[in-house]
Amino acid sequence: MEEEAEEAPELDRPTAPRDFHFYHVDLYDSEDRLQIFPEESSRMRREVVQAEMTGEPRGLAKRKPQRNLEEEVDELVHLYGLEDDHELGDEFVDENMPRIEVSEYPPYMTTEREPASEQRGWRLSGEAAEAEDLSFRVWGSAGKCQDLREAYRYTHGRASEEYECYVIPEEEDEEEAADVFCVTCKTPIRALEKVLDEHREHEVTPLNKALESAKDEIHRNMYKLEKQIIEMENFASHLEEVFITVEENFGRQEQNFESHYNEILETLAQKYEEKIQALGEKKKEKLEALYGQLVSCGENLDTCKELMETVEEICHQEKVDFIKDAVAMADRLRKFLETKTDVEISTQPALEDQTLDFADVEQLLGAINTIPPPSAPVINPQAPNSATGSSVRVCWSLYSDDTVESYELSCRPVRDSSPGKNQAEFTMTVKETYCLVTNLVPNTQYEFWVTAQNRAGLSPASERAVYMTAPSPPIIKNKEIRSCEEAALICWESGNLNPVDSYTVELTQADTPEASGVTESVVGIPTCEALVQLQPRRSYTIYVRALGVGGPSARSEPATVHTTGSYFRLNRHTCHPWLTISEDGLTAVRSERKTPAREPPPSNTCFSRCVAVMGNLIPVRGRHYWEVEVDEHLDYMVGVAFEDVPRQEDLGANCLSWCMRHTWASSRHKYEFLHNKMTPDIRITVSPRKIGILLDYENSKLSFFNVDISQHLYTFSCQLPQFVHPCFSLEKPGCLKIHNGVSMPKHITFY
Amino acid sequence: MALKQISSNKCFGGLQKVFEHHSVELNCKMKFAVYLPPKAETGKCPALYWLSGLTCTEQTFITKSGYHQAASEHGLVVIAPDTSPRGCNIKGEDESWDFGTGAGFYVDATEDPWKTNYRMYSYVTEELPQLINVNFPVDPQRMSIFGHSMGGHGALICALKNPGKYKSVSAFAPICNPVLCPWGKKAFGGYLGTDPNKWKAYDATHLVKSYPGSQLDILIDQGKDDQFLSDGQLLPDNFIAACTEKKIPVVFRLQEGYDHSYYFIASFITDHIRHHAKYLNA
Repeated sequence: MEEEAEEAPELDRPTAPRDFHFYHVDLYDSEDRLQIFPEESSRMRREVVQAEMTGEPRGLAKRKPQRNLEEEVDELVHLYGLEDDHELGDEFVDENMPRIEVSEYPPYMTTEREPASEQRGWRLSGEAAEAEDLSFRVWGSAGKCQDLREAYRYTHGRASEEYECYVIPEEEDEEEAADVFCVTCKTPIRALEKVLDEHREHEVTPLNKALESAKDEIHRNMYKLEKQIIEMENFASHLEEVFITVEENFGRQEQNFESHYNEILETLAQKYEEKIQALGEKKKEKLEALYGQLVSCGENLDTCKELMETVEEICHQEKVDFIKDAVAMADRLRKFLETKTDVEISTQPALEDQTLDFADVEQLLGAINTIPPPSAPVINPQAPNSATGSSVRVCWSLYSDDTVESYELSCRPVRDSSPGKNQAEFTMTVKETYCLVTNLVPNTQYEFWVTAQNRAGLSPASERAVYMTAPSPPIIKNKEIRSCEEAALICWESGNLNPVDSYTVELTQADTPEASGVTESVVGIPTCEALVQLQPRRSYTIYVRALGVGGPSARSEPATVHTTGSYFRLNRHTCHPWLTISEDGLTAVRSERKTPAREPPPSNTCFSRCVAVMGNLIPVRGRHYWEVEVDEHLDYMVGVAFEDVPRQEDLGANCLSWCMRHTWASSRHKYEFLHNKMTPDIRITVSPRKIGILLDYENSKLSFFNVDISQHLYTFSCQLPQFVHPCFSLEKPGCLKIHNGVSMPKHITFY
Repeated sequence: MALKQISSNKCFGGLQKVFEHHSVELNCKMKFAVYLPPKAETGKCPALYWLSGLTCTEQTFITKSGYHQAASEHGLVVIAPDTSPRGCNIKGEDESWDFGTGAGFYVDATEDPWKTNYRMYSYVTEELPQLINVNFPVDPQRMSIFGHSMGGHGALICALKNPGKYKSVSAFAPICNPVLCPWGKKAFGGYLGTDPNKWKAYDATHLVKSYPGSQLDILIDQGKDDQFLSDGQLLPDNFIAACTEKKIPVVFRLQEGYDHSYYFIASFITDHIRHHAKYLNA
């Protein structure tokens, strides 16, 4: 049923990506963009119709609200197209989106109300809830849904108060329950009625079957509507993004224009000033020249007048005098007339051709539509957890005024030389303001810087930022893991040459299905080992991560810990030279030697007197149990000792060690329980082949058992202020095998 | 088999009681002590039988050994019978301390005049357990036995003669090989007749040799300064050797400085109670 329902919504899916294209391609082309809305809404309408068309034609009432919706959307689009106010975008989102939802939600709402159909955990948004009333108004008379509801109501017997919003059909019989469903009348009836009245000729089905098909119908519709709701929600959020981006882009463009216009105005004002000044100077210069000419002209005039007067005087004189003077006068006149009177106007009154040079202004105007080169981007410091062992994610930002076509990211590993102006080792060109730089070396610092560029040119480089790759995963030392019932001691190698900040140990319980997948983490471990508290008798898978500035490393290879009994291995550093420790660290062998080498020199770590070896028990105060497999005829010692027990003394020969000693001499077994060279006198009739040792810090007890027959052999009461380690000694050639990780037998709980 | 309560005292949350009853086996009135731990109020508990040594009565163990705390903690019902029939008017029954009254040696006498009354083996292995199982909240499937000196001998033979009947056995300074020690020779001669081969049926060391090998964990404590040890009355080495040969598990602890007294018993009674609890409460 569900598969069937899935088909229809699936068909619409390929159209969805279209939403993403228009916005980027035609960001500034408003006409194209605006067409999107009607288109989208009509597409959605188609979906609605498709989803609802499950066999019956829809009533007119259904169409009407759709038309209303369409009008609303168109109106909005229209409004939005005309208005330049970017706030409208928000309005659209805030106010009108819910109204779109209203038309999409009602079927969903009604099914949500049916208690029987709550098979899916649908989230009911508050918005939708508010819109509920409206939805019923819109859908009130929609035939199909009404039918389904009625079918439901009948199947549920009495109408509960939940249905009080529906019209209860008159023909419903409150007294007797209907048991069959009349397909023709679409109403449940009693089987008796079928025989009687108007249903006689009608097709009937059992009520259960009708119920089933009604349920199926509703579920199918629910599914389709669910699909639509999701799609609409996606579309709404996408629209919101578009609005915000458009708003931002326009704001930026406005600022851009404004600054350009200011620049042009400034340039013009400057040019005006310059021209005015030049004109003034020219005017002054010309007027001065004319004035000078005027003055000299006046002077000439005076001279002429004077000459005239002189000549007139001469004319009135006597003849002799006249002639004398006349000659002189004539000379003077001739001289005077010879000097050419300058009557040319030295300065043209007309203005010279004042061509105004607007070339630079034109250039500026032209520049309005071009863009300036970007300023230097700002590189971000490394974000936490953004790195892996081989990659870092470098992020930067640009100034909002800038238009950037691409960035060039440069990278250089920080080596011994201090970060500085060294050459980039490689560069990358990216379009985004981030870049995932890969193929790097783990736990290493890299210096990054970035330049932005567009058509107009290249920005200066950003500051340099140092990023660090995450460390390599640590390597758990499987052979050094020790555990007991309550804890485990995990050791690992860093796996990194450079120091890391800390380590994280992750624990997953391996054997409990109910707890599987739950991972506990112990964080902030500064060293390469950690003591983690665990639950008894479980299996854990353990991983370690290294943590650096750049983030956590990948998980280490897993290690497995079983918290059954205690688990340790023999410590080779304490091993007497005559002993050989097996590969698994659980068997000590003293091989046959005809002539044993001389005793080794005293040492602080190796046992040099008794042929012994220590085990590495986890330093946890609790109860520890382990078993040792021995040969009945072997001379051995098993017990515990403080870490600083003198290595050149026998076990049990001092206050720092406790041990059970077995010697086999002249066909007799001798058992001693030695501490400080003293032993109780104890005889044991059955030689143990496997000795169980219980170390109980809480009760200050060390007990020995014959494992095979659950026999208690001896218990030391010993004060253990420090941690002790298991000890094993072979007095004669032979071998001891340690059995670790065995659960404590029940009987030992009595000791 | 009516029980008559002689005394009842609260002790470590439980009750130390003494009862008197008429014993069919012994044909006389007998007293026994029983400790009911707190746990016995709500459910059935395992039963642990204590057999006392020469000259003792049902009172000795309950007043001197200090076992109550351990028994209370482990939830064990501890039963301590008397060591012999009393007041049977048999000639010579009170003549010596190591024969007759207070010295039943946990055998069923075959010789006159003892065979009518001196049937302590049957009393402690049959009559008394039936009485206890009927009258007290005990689990019949879980019983163990221990004792001191002659009672240690009794505990060992009861366990060895009835494989599987007792979950565990332990003893303080037991007479391990009575057929070879003066006490045993006197008593067995008196009760069982002069044929030493008949005695072997009540000798722990001999019984070990024919023990079928059902799992039995034996704990024995022995004071090193016990005068009867040095007098050759106890002979634990013979028993240990036999057990070693037959691979019957024994832990024998020779306790430095301790003698044959109840002070010695009190020192290690907790270990013994724990030993039994380990098997009874397993």
